[in-house]
Amino acid sequence: MSGSNKPHPLVDATQPNLLEGIFPYRLPPLIRFEGPVVETIDGKPVTFDFRSVKDREILITDTTFRDGQQARPPYTPDQMVHIYDLLAKLGGPRGIIRQTEFFLYTRNDRETLDRCRALGHRYPECTGWIRAVKGDFRLVKEMGLKETGMLTSCSDYHIFQKLGFKSRKACLESYCEAVAAALEAGVRPRCHMEDVTRADVDGFVLPFVDRLMEMSRGAPEDLSVKIRLCDTMGFGVSYPGAELPRSIPKLIYKVTHECGVPGSRLEWHGHNDFHKVHANGAAAWLYGCDVLNTTLFGFGERTGNPPLEGAVFEYIALKGDLAGIDTARITELADYMESIGLPIPENYPFAGRAFNVTRAGIHAGGLRQDERIYNIFDTEALLGRPPRVAITDKSGADGVTHWVNTCFGLKGDRRISKIKVHKLARWVIDQYEVEGRLTSISDRELEAKTRELMPDLWARYMGAAP
Amino acid sequence: MATVRDRVIAVTSRVLKVPPEEIKLEHHFAADLGAESVQSIELVAMFEEEFGIEMEEEAALSVETVGGAVEFIAEVCKRQGVPVEG
Repeated sequence: MSGSNKPHPLVDATQPNLLEGIFPYRLPPLIRFEGPVVETIDGKPVTFDFRSVKDREILITDTTFRDGQQARPPYTPDQMVHIYDLLAKLGGPRGIIRQTEFFLYTRNDRETLDRCRALGHRYPECTGWIRAVKGDFRLVKEMGLKETGMLTSCSDYHIFQKLGFKSRKACLESYCEAVAAALEAGVRPRCHMEDVTRADVDGFVLPFVDRLMEMSRGAPEDLSVKIRLCDTMGFGVSYPGAELPRSIPKLIYKVTHECGVPGSRLEWHGHNDFHKVHANGAAAWLYGCDVLNTTLFGFGERTGNPPLEGAVFEYIALKGDLAGIDTARITELADYMESIGLPIPENYPFAGRAFNVTRAGIHAGGLRQDERIYNIFDTEALLGRPPRVAITDKSGADGVTHWVNTCFGLKGDRRISKIKVHKLARWVIDQYEVEGRLTSISDRELEAKTRELMPDLWARYMGAAP
Repeated sequence: MATVRDRVIAVTSRVLKVPPEEIKLEHHFAADLGAESVQSIELVAMFEEEFGIEMEEEAALSVETVGGAVEFIAEVCKRQGVPVEG
C-alpha cells in the first residue's frame, strides 16, 4: 500500500467546527446518506437509495400490550389505558406511532380495548391479535376492529414441528382459509410471518405472499392483506451480501419487488436475541419496509423487541424533523413503567436513570463549560433530562456541586456554590476514604443525604421534607 | 473576644487537625498544612460560620496562606458590618 496513500493536509482553524448540520443538538444527530448502496440479489446488482426515506411515509407500530405483555405479568386495565394515552401523546397528531395491538381473548382484554378507544385518540389505531383460526374472527368483528394480526408461521420448524401440518401445502391452504374468512368478515388481515428468517423464502414465503396478493386483488384497498415479517428468533442480519433467509435486504426486496407488496403494507417485527434488534429495524425501514413494529423500552418475549423510543429517535434522525412527536413523553412513560414495577436498567438509552450521567470529575468540569461535550443532544429539551454527574471518589467537590445544582434545577446565577455543599462533599469522600466503599453513589442515596445535610436548601428547592 | 488571627487559627486547627501552636501566619493551607481540595472548601465554610459572613467562592478559595485568610476575612467583616477584634 505504500506510495498509494492519499495525502490529508491539516485544515487549520482558529474557530471550532462543531458540525452542527449533523449535530444540531436541539434534535438528535441527523443521519445523512452520501449515495446509493448496492446489494447482490440472485447474482444481480440491485441498487437501494436510502435517501428516499426522507420522502417515504415510514411509521412506527406498537406491540407493548401483546408481545410486550408476553414478557411480564399482565398489565392491569388501568395501566394499559394510561400507557395507551401516553403513547398517543408521544406519537403526536400525525400518528407516527400508527397502531397498537391488543389481545382479545378475555373479558379484561376487551374491556381495556374499549376504554382505550373511549379516550378518543385517532392514533395509535387499535388492532387485534388472534390465531389464524376462522372462529377467532368473531371476536374481532364483535369488537368492531378494522384490522387484526394473525399468526401465519413460515419456517418448517413451525409448520411441521410446532403446528404438525402434513405438508407446506396443507399449511398454506389453512392460512389462506383464515385470511379468506377475515376478508369475508370485512376485517383487514395482517399476516404475521413468524420465523421468516429461518424459513424457506423461495419455497414457502414468497409463494404464500403471492397468494395473499392474489386474494387482496379482489378485495377493497382498505382490506388488502398486510404482511408482518417476524424475525422471531432474532436471526435477521442487515449486512449487505448476507444470504437468505437471514438477509433483511433480500427478504424485503423479494417481498416488495417480486411479490409486489407495497412498502406501506409491510412491517418488520424483530427480536433482540443477538443484540441486533434496533439496527435491524432501522435497516428494514431503509430497505423499503415502511412500518417498524416495536415495544416500549424493548420489553418483549425473551430478549425483547425493537424499542419504541429507539425507533422514535431513529425516525427523527432520518427525517430531520420531530413531526409532531412529543419526545418528553418517553420520560413520563419510563417513570410510569418504573412506578408499576418494570425496572429499566440505569444505563438504558434515552430512559435509564443514568443514560446521560457522567462519572468522572473532569467530565463534570466539561459539562459546566459546554454541556454538548458530554451530552448526546439537548436531553433536557427533548426528554426533560439534563445531563448529570454520578458521584464517585473521582467526582470531587465540583462534581458534587454539579449534582446538587442539577437535582435542585438551578442554573446560572441561581446555582449554589461549592461552599454550601461542603458537608455533602465530605460525606462522599468519607464514603470512600473512611468506609472503604467501592461502588458509585446512587441518586437516591444522594437525595436522602442532601435532605439530611442541607435541610434548608432542600426545603427551599424541593419542598418540605416528608 | 479573640482576635481574627486567633479565630482563623482555631478554625484551621479544627478542620485540618493541626495543633494551633504549629500554625503560622505564613503557612500555606495546602503545601504546609496539607489541606486537600475538599478541606479548602470546608475551611471557607467554617470561616463563614465562625464570623457570620458570606464570602465570594472564587476569591475565598484563591487565598493561599493563613495570614492571607486573616486579612481577607477582616476585610469581608468590615464590608459586611460584622464587628471583630483586630
